[in-house]
Amino acid sequence: MVNLNKVQPRSGGDHYLALGIEGSANKLGVGILKHPMLSQHKQGSLSHDCQAEILSNIRDTYITPPGEGFLPRDTARHHRNWVVRLVRRALVEAGIEDPRLLDVICFTKGPGMGAPLHSVVVAARTMSMLWDVPLVAVNHCIGHIEMGREITKAENPVVLYVSGGNTQVIAYSENRYRIFGETLDIAIGNCLDRFARTLKIPNDPSPGYNIEQLAKQCKNKDRLVELPYTVKGMDLSMSGILAHIDSLAKDLFRRNTKNYKLFDRETGKQLVTVEDLCYSLQEHLFAMLVEITERAMAHVNSNQVLIVGGVGCNVRLQQMMASMCQSRADGQVHATDERFCIDNGVMIAQAGLLQYRMGDIVKDFSETVVTQRFRTDEVYVSWRD
Amino acid sequence: MQPPTATYCTPEGDSHAFTVVPDAPRYRTTDGTTSGPSAYVLQAGQIDRDRPSPPKLDAQGEPTALSRLRMHLTGLQDDINSFLTAEMQRAKNKKQKIDDTQEQRATGGSTAA
Repeated sequence: MVNLNKVQPRSGGDHYLALGIEGSANKLGVGILKHPMLSQHKQGSLSHDCQAEILSNIRDTYITPPGEGFLPRDTARHHRNWVVRLVRRALVEAGIEDPRLLDVICFTKGPGMGAPLHSVVVAARTMSMLWDVPLVAVNHCIGHIEMGREITKAENPVVLYVSGGNTQVIAYSENRYRIFGETLDIAIGNCLDRFARTLKIPNDPSPGYNIEQLAKQCKNKDRLVELPYTVKGMDLSMSGILAHIDSLAKDLFRRNTKNYKLFDRETGKQLVTVEDLCYSLQEHLFAMLVEITERAMAHVNSNQVLIVGGVGCNVRLQQMMASMCQSRADGQVHATDERFCIDNGVMIAQAGLLQYRMGDIVKDFSETVVTQRFRTDEVYVSWRD
Repeated sequence: MQPPTATYCTPEGDSHAFTVVPDAPRYRTTDGTTSGPSAYVLQAGQIDRDRPSPPKLDAQGEPTALSRLRMHLTGLQDDINSFLTAEMQRAKNKKQKIDDTQEQRATGGSTAA
């Protein structure tokens, strides 16, 4: 039986306080979270209902010029030079005058880009030593899942985790988040971001968001531009779709009238716009995600889906998933808004605090070494039955 | 507080010590010469808004202990980066020399037409 009250709050009071730092890609997030110590958490799996109070949730994004991605070195520099200022702001916003009152400092151990992860862990180690607060190393994907469960109160959903670095369909079983299906090559967010680079549309606030806005302006929603549809069992592949749509976009910009998908064979009139391409790309990619998610739901006999990760705040994806769920008996889709979908510090604090309350803390700095590869199913989920 | 130091050593036994010269200008800034944005992103039109914050000064106008440490580490990091870049260039030149020698041997001792 899970007992989330295994460890007493350090302050001796009736609540736990956790500070989380996230920096596995181009977002640097610092969040502070409070869990009340409740008697019902002594027995039973209530990790989805901690009655968490978000005291601060601050994020700063490293944004590059249109057409450019973010390089590890420059992203790491961004995180290194902003982390102290963000932590300071988070503490002020949370009303914490003495950081030594924190129960735990949680940081992203991986997966992610090595150099930015390193910037964050150095800050976490420094704060831990300065304030004598224990550290907890958190898997980034678990952070997304636990934050999604806490916000939506979904008890045992099939999780669709879609972001710039990950695309996975996950279900919980016997203390692990098991991966039922995943991308065989690039992540969905990466596919959208790279197409945005081809289109040279701004990276602010995010390339995927700007593609979503262009897709909304599509005037030919009843006439999809045909793209490859590459579901492979429970897995999917997106690199071929990207190569295909990239070549279409380039032909469109060059006005290659011999491409009859884009231009009328007889008159040479343009048939397809950039907005149409964005819409068709989203429809194809999201249909593939819905298909494998539905199959996972059937497999584990679940009727709940939780969408997490940066791409999860795409409204069209949520609509398509809801449509699938409605066609299943009493199906429900749970999703969060950009505060919690997009990488943030609070999600690291949430997963880290659950680990901490189960007695899982860093005992030696050698355990804090960050790693670019850290699969979701490597983590032992002690806080669930 | 003693200024930080660093030591570079190799399995072959080479070593190099890095020390701070507190009054030298490179140890009196938080904005290093080798830790700026990449030339590539600047060429792409990036505006640098991620500079490190300047050192914090106390009531007497002197840097606080932590700010002094940050400045010393910035200079030390520049020293290390410059040293490692030179080492890499040296290794590259050495490899090039070996490759050229091997090519000369393979082509019969002369590369001239």
